Formats: sequence, structure tokens, C-alpha cells
Amino acid sequence: MRIGTTAVWLLVAADLLLVLWIFLTSLRGGSDILKHGFSLPTSPRFGNYATALDQGGFAQAALNSVLTAVVSSLVAVVLAAPCAYALARRRSRTSSALTMTFAMGLGVPGQVLVVPLFVGLAKLDLTDSDLGLALVYVGLAMPFTVFLLTGFFSGIPAVLEEAAVLDGAGPLRAFVQVVLPVARGGLITAFLLQFITNWNETLFAIVLTNSQSKVTLPVALAEFVAAQQFNGLDYGTMFAGVCIILAPMIALFSWMGTRIIQGMTVGIGK
Amino acid sequence: MATTIQHPARADRAQNRSARAGATGVGPLERQRRRTFWPFTAPALAVYLVLFIAPVGYALWTSLYKWDGMGAMQWRGLKNYSLLFQDPSFCTSLVNTLELMVIGGTVTFVISFALTLVLREMRARLFARSVLFFPSLVNGMVFGIAAGFLFSPSGPVNQALRLFGVTTPPKWLSTDNLLPMVLGTLIWTATGYYTSIIMAAVDQIPDYFYEAAELDGAGAFQRFRHITLPCAWDVISVCAVLWTVSSVKIFELILLFGGSTNAFPPVSSWNTALYVYTEAFPQGTVPRLGMATAAAITSLVMVTVITIVLRRVLRREPIEY
Repeated sequence: MRIGTTAVWLLVAADLLLVLWIFLTSLRGGSDILKHGFSLPTSPRFGNYATALDQGGFAQAALNSVLTAVVSSLVAVVLAAPCAYALARRRSRTSSALTMTFAMGLGVPGQVLVVPLFVGLAKLDLTDSDLGLALVYVGLAMPFTVFLLTGFFSGIPAVLEEAAVLDGAGPLRAFVQVVLPVARGGLITAFLLQFITNWNETLFAIVLTNSQSKVTLPVALAEFVAAQQFNGLDYGTMFAGVCIILAPMIALFSWMGTRIIQGMTVGIGK
Repeated sequence: MATTIQHPARADRAQNRSARAGATGVGPLERQRRRTFWPFTAPALAVYLVLFIAPVGYALWTSLYKWDGMGAMQWRGLKNYSLLFQDPSFCTSLVNTLELMVIGGTVTFVISFALTLVLREMRARLFARSVLFFPSLVNGMVFGIAAGFLFSPSGPVNQALRLFGVTTPPKWLSTDNLLPMVLGTLIWTATGYYTSIIMAAVDQIPDYFYEAAELDGAGAFQRFRHITLPCAWDVISVCAVLWTVSSVKIFELILLFGGSTNAFPPVSSWNTALYVYTEAFPQGTVPRLGMATAAAITSLVMVTVITIVLRRVLRREPIEY
């Protein structure tokens, strides 16, 4: 057992050190990094971040990432919540068939959808547009968000709406004013998980956006790495870019880690 | 925890319903639910049909044609699929996908269980779990870039090895070694996630099972074998399906692993997602959308079949506690 505990702490230390190392390296100069892989920055070079944000296009990309991730996650939750509520409350053959249809989407890898969605959006002139990308993210979010929220709504006792309806509230009012406030926790979790997924999503972002003003962070990072192969590696700036993509995840996780872990794990076990 | 809280509510609801059904046939609430069912589900369903189901159908349709995305589509029928299996890059991709799925899955699950056992009786377990979980929130490219630097020929790992007297370290990032490196990274990043899921299930097993077993003289392994494994079986079978699906979705981890020097990583490290991407969006050559969608559909069929088989094989009578 003691060996096991030591091994776990070593793993934990390795994870923490990797993040720390990435951060420290992002503050160092390129040639210095190549000479000594592990070392403290002699004088922190925040210039790496300025270079990344400005020349690497990470500032615009970060803005695009925030915008597409927030808007698409929000729309996905707004669309999925009433649907999941109806599916959770009504027990009929249609209802379980629909639940199955949504659940089936969980098993479809993105590579199946990437060509059709590209062709479809190209016809609508929505490629290389953040609107098009956000639209795709809303569609991709449907199976998981409906699945997650259906599980969540069936955990809320129906007594609440029964009381509201007996008091004369219409179905929409009962849902918006009585159920949604109680379900706030689940809705926030659904939004968070979707935001994280969209923030890191790479395949569709690479395929659907390419001009400097439209790309999201993963695309900007991939393009920056590719460009470095020709201009000579500037590891400092590259790791500054990595930190920009990592920072919101670290912030969210330290702020709402328990909620994120529960959302991603407890729902699975049901 | 959650299940024990839910039960009274559920029983309550059932009682209410039967009481009212006896009095008036269908209660006003039930009637209302029936009326609002379609208005509530329609928007999400419409989005899902247009942006998800229809594209799957379109992919199936395209996979029967020869098409470069611009000119006319030429009927090819199932020939795309037979061409696919004659293409060595596709065969490599398919084998790699299965390798990531089977080897990666097995190793990840063994480690996750070992970690669960250790974490169960550890101090600061929640902190340790959180740190181990974090890599699953990180874009795979980050690990690819970090590995490309750490394992480069004169990089930190080799420098450290030299201190220990290893003068001819393995060529970590050579074409042949890329896939094992990807596999290692995948296992390391996924373990925390699956450990957390299994831990959540193990936490719900009542303590008195373990206490009773201990009194009967069961060792740590026997307790695992006869209590943990059967009680957590449901979650394990769900995890197996989850792993199957998510291992096929891997893309960005391979795309940038080792900071690849060309537009695409070498074929020896491709999985089916990379194959679809390179066929549909190649650099400098004509896109082959028919082949790309045929490869995508093949991977979809593969996931579906494996999922169904897994569910059959892993099905057990659930244990109530």
C-alpha cells in the first residue's frame, strides 16, 4: 500500500510539475530554453506573451474562442433544457424513442460529420465564419447536453410542478419559474462542460476556419507551431501560446473543480 | 448517495399518480405534459436532425461516390470501401485506431483500478484526484508540443538520461516510435478521468460490506475481487463503451505530436480521424471526399459493432444495495 501511495503522489507531482514547467518556460528566451530545458527564468520575459498575442494572432483567436464557446454553449443549453425536461417527465414510447435517438449521437465520432458539415456550410457561405463554427458546436452539443440534463431533471421531484399547476400556473410558467430555478445547478454544469469541450475543440475549428480574424485558439496554436518549423523554433512564445489556451481551464478547474468532475463522472454512472 | 435520495421521491410520485389516475383517469398535469411535449422537444430535435443526423446520412450517401468537392459526383457504389481496404495508409490507420482502443483501454483500466484502490485509503484523496483529473481538460496538442520538446534528441529527457549513464537513448520521436508515444500520453491523460468515474461508483459501496469481509479474513485483493468489482460492474461497462467511443475521436493529440515537421504527421501514427482529415482536406492534391466519408462510415460501423458486442458481453444482473 505504501508503494501505491508513493506512486500516486509521484504522478500528482509529475502533473503539477509539467504545468509549472510549461508556465516557467513561457517566460524564457528561445536560445536559453534550448541550452537548459529545466531552469528558472533569469528575468521573466513577459514579452513572449506580447509576441504571442500580437504576432501569433493569439489575441484575436482568444476572443474568437471565447465568443464561439460561450454563445454555442448557451444556445445549446437553452435548446436542450426544455427538451430534456419533457423527455424526463413524460414516460411514453415516443419519449423513450427520442431519448434513444439523442443517446445514439453520443457514439458518433466527429470525423463522420466533418465532411458533410463543411460541404453544407460552404453552400450557405458560412465557412470561415465564427457563426458557422458556433452553429456546428450547437449541433454537436445536442446529444450530450440532452442526455446530461435528462438525467438531471429526472432527479428533481415532480411535486414542485404539481403544486404550481394546481395553483393555476401554465406549463411554460411552471417550467420557467418553478423548475428552472431548482435546476440551476444542472444547467450551469451543462454549460460549463460544453464550454470546456468547445474551448478545446480542434478538428472542426481547423476545417471550418482559416483566416487570421476567424480562427480559434487551437487553430492559432497549430498554425503557430507549423510556422515555427520554417522560422526557427521560438519555444518561449510557443509555450506562451500554450499557457493562453491552458489558463482558462486552470482557472475554471480551481474555481469549480468539484462541479466539473461531478458533471463529467456522476452522470456517466447512472 | 444520489440513488438513496431519489427513491423516496420516485415512490412518492408513483403513489400520487396512481391515486389520481384512480379518481379522474388522467390528471391535469399528465394532460398538460402530453400537450407540451412536442413544443418543448421540437427545437432541440430540429437542430439535432439538421446538424447531426442529416450529416450522418449525407456522409453515407457521399461515401458511394467519387467526388472532389467541386465537380460532378460520380457513382462508385461500394467500390470506395474495397479501395479503402487496399489502401495501405487506411489499413495502418485502422490498425492504429484499434491499437489505441484495445491496448490503451486495457492499460488505462488496470491503472485506474489500481489508483482507485490506493486512493480509497489515502489522505488528501480529493486533492490527488483533482490533480490527476485535470489533464482531461487540456487540449491534446499541448501534450504533443511538450513531448516534442522534452523528448527531442538533445532535449531534457535525454540530458537527464545521460546523467544516469544512458548514452544511446531511444529515438523517442522517430516515425516508428510515434504511436507508442501517443499511446503513452493518451493513457497518462485518460487515467485520471476514468479513475474519477470509478471512484464515484466505489464511494457508493457501503462500508459494512468491506467491514464484514475483513472480519471474515478477506485480503485486499479478495475484497476487490468479491466486493468492488461486482458492485461497480455497471459503471465499468459504461466506461468501456465510453472509452471505445472516445478513443476513436482522438485527433489533435496525433496531429501535433512531437511538433511534426510537415503539414501532416507521418502515416505510421495516423488513426482513422487523421485519415479522414488528410483525404478530405489535403495540402496541394485533390480532395477525395468519397474515400474520406467511406473511411468515416467504416469507423462509425466499427464503433457501433464494438459497442453492441461490449454491452452484450459485459451485461450482468445489477446488484442492489
